[in-house]
Amino acid sequence: MITAEQLVGEELAEWYLLTPQERWQESGKLWAIFFSLGGSLDPEPDTQSPFFDPDAPSSRSLDGRSGLRSIRRGGV
Amino acid sequence: MGGQACVLYGAAEFSRDTDLAILASPENLSRLRAALADLQAEVIAVPPFELKHLRKGHAIHFRCHTPEADGMRVDVMTRMRGVDVFARLWPRRTTLGAEDGTSYELMSLPDLVKAKKTQRDKDWPMIRRLVEADYFRQRDKPTQQQVGFWFLELRTPELLIELAETHAQICRRLIKQRSLLKLVAAGKENDLTAALAEEERLEREADREYWMPLKAELEELRRARLRKP
Repeated sequence: MITAEQLVGEELAEWYLLTPQERWQESGKLWAIFFSLGGSLDPEPDTQSPFFDPDAPSSRSLDGRSGLRSIRRGGV
Repeated sequence: MGGQACVLYGAAEFSRDTDLAILASPENLSRLRAALADLQAEVIAVPPFELKHLRKGHAIHFRCHTPEADGMRVDVMTRMRGVDVFARLWPRRTTLGAEDGTSYELMSLPDLVKAKKTQRDKDWPMIRRLVEADYFRQRDKPTQQQVGFWFLELRTPELLIELAETHAQICRRLIKQRSLLKLVAAGKENDLTAALAEEERLEREADREYWMPLKAELEELRRARLRKP
């Protein structure tokens, strides 16, 4: 019998086996981190969506700051 | 019915908007207007929030401005390609209760999978994960209905072949509905992978064709909006 770990790796397998309530809680933790880093609620531009409108206005980030920014760039 | 539902069903997605499938009736729209007013939601793109657009299959896009949900996007739809009408979706829904007493009404997993069969790249790995997650959770004691759902919607060749080892009869019975199941019964993994890719290609093409007239309407609405003084 194929196990979830064999197929998708440990991390995703663990996520598969959580209850919906547990996933909701874990997802909430991710949201908290995302917001603490200045994340914005604007969805990524989805150019493949039939609803994509390049002229649709975007919102500011939650805390009014510009969100994550690059502090140091590594060499390629 | 969107990314948030995918999280609850087991796929790992970080979705920043909330997609709602609703009954498009004048009474329900009045209730929705009141809820959106509570959220201080504004329409942010075409089409405008009108019943006729929802009934045609368009989505209405909102952004909330109430402090608790400032910037949150909400998309509302009533018709989706290949998905039953709302009156049939509602009795099949899944209801989840949170610890704080809130309940969430989700489109059933089989319906959500159908709704995800779009032209977008990102929806296809999501479908695969949604059905895999369901399979791994339920495979020890599945109902006939679940086995049928997996045969019709699994996108993982290894799991389809594994499933056929214990449910060969159901697999044969469903070949009429999904022709690639004949490769499952024969255990041809490489051919099955190619057939799954072809199945995806055809669905994406069908979705593009479905959206062609609707996209033309959206373009016209955008032009009309720009012409307004």
